[in-house]
Amino acid sequence: MRRQLTALLSVAFVVTSGAVLAHHSFAMFDQENPVELEGVVQEFKFTSPHTFIILEVKGEGGSQLWSLEGAAPSALVRDGWSSKTLKPGDELKLTVEPLRSGAPGGSWAVSKTKYKNGQPIVISH
Amino acid sequence: MLARCSVGALALTAVMVTTISAARAHDETKYPDWSGQWLRTGGIQWDPSKPIGRGQQASLTPEYQAIFEASLADQAKGGAGNDPRYSCFPVGMPRLMSVIFPMEFIFTPKVTYILFENNMPRRIYTDGRGWPKNPDQHPDQHPEPTFAGYSLGQWIDADGDGRYDTLEVETRYMKGPRTYEGTGLPLHKDNQTVVKERIALDKSNLDRMHDEITTIDNALTRPWTVTKTYRRERNVTWFENDCTEDNHHIGIGSEHYFLSADGYLMPAKKGQAPPDLRYFSQGKR
Repeated sequence: MRRQLTALLSVAFVVTSGAVLAHHSFAMFDQENPVELEGVVQEFKFTSPHTFIILEVKGEGGSQLWSLEGAAPSALVRDGWSSKTLKPGDELKLTVEPLRSGAPGGSWAVSKTKYKNGQPIVISH
Repeated sequence: MLARCSVGALALTAVMVTTISAARAHDETKYPDWSGQWLRTGGIQWDPSKPIGRGQQASLTPEYQAIFEASLADQAKGGAGNDPRYSCFPVGMPRLMSVIFPMEFIFTPKVTYILFENNMPRRIYTDGRGWPKNPDQHPDQHPEPTFAGYSLGQWIDADGDGRYDTLEVETRYMKGPRTYEGTGLPLHKDNQTVVKERIALDKSNLDRMHDEITTIDNALTRPWTVTKTYRRERNVTWFENDCTEDNHHIGIGSEHYFLSADGYLMPAKKGQAPPDLRYFSQGKR
């Protein structure tokens, strides 16, 4: 499965701050080797200490659920986000910092998340 | 009826006198305006003027430098290192004052409270009490150690304008383990830390606050002073931020794992072994 998914993953050489993940050390996420994912939102968890996007990523051999950790809800609220900003079924394209283990998990950031068609995420201030 | 009214009037008068006395005891005009929400202006490192990790150039003893290096080495492989915060372990002093999420000040006559969005509050006693004289002989007067510690404070009118402008605080009796930042930069295991603070608004910008923090700790070869700066948000939004709600970072033994989307353990580090399941039945499923 992992090998099949690699077709969808391309290394993006983006310097990332990771500072939004301030609740703890974020060393488990590989900031030097981010990957690009395309997938469909299964669930947007607006929970503490971190929000999560559960993203279904399809590959040749099937699909895999990625668990993507983001900023705290309070930080997103102050940026104009809410629990309804992302909905199940939304198609996203995002650059994430993956778990160093290679398991389907990582961290996401607002600045590196767009709809699949390239449009920015719509937020209401 | 008349008698009942008189008793009621007397009771009301007594309440009013008590209220007025309490108001006089806590004369708000003597205190600075620290209202609103205070947010950090720098990063998440301890000394905001230096890079996180080794860049902090902490003057650690050789023993604690080795602990710090081991933490950095583990984190380079994807581990949590020496920082247990990933599992929602409490943040202690002085790290609380990094103010990862916003804080708020509440003044009362005897206590100043600092409320944090995602941590337990600090209570700073400003009633003039001293430290326990001889804790060994009076264990009932010896504060139990806590992560936030036991803080005594004193309001100062530094510029002599008749109004307090500075809060000086000393904090002792802390519990561990504690670290300065997410890299696992450690404080000493003996928990004999003393933290001295001087908190005041920036005279040139009343929406900025400075906290000069000096940490005296046996893991350091000399006291460490840093200055944190916070900015005031007057258009306040508070949010519930309880770390235990949905934390996906799981600590088992000394290892850190990550929860998958469907609730199973995943490795965080490359090649990480699964947890020791010796107390589970290993029979056929």
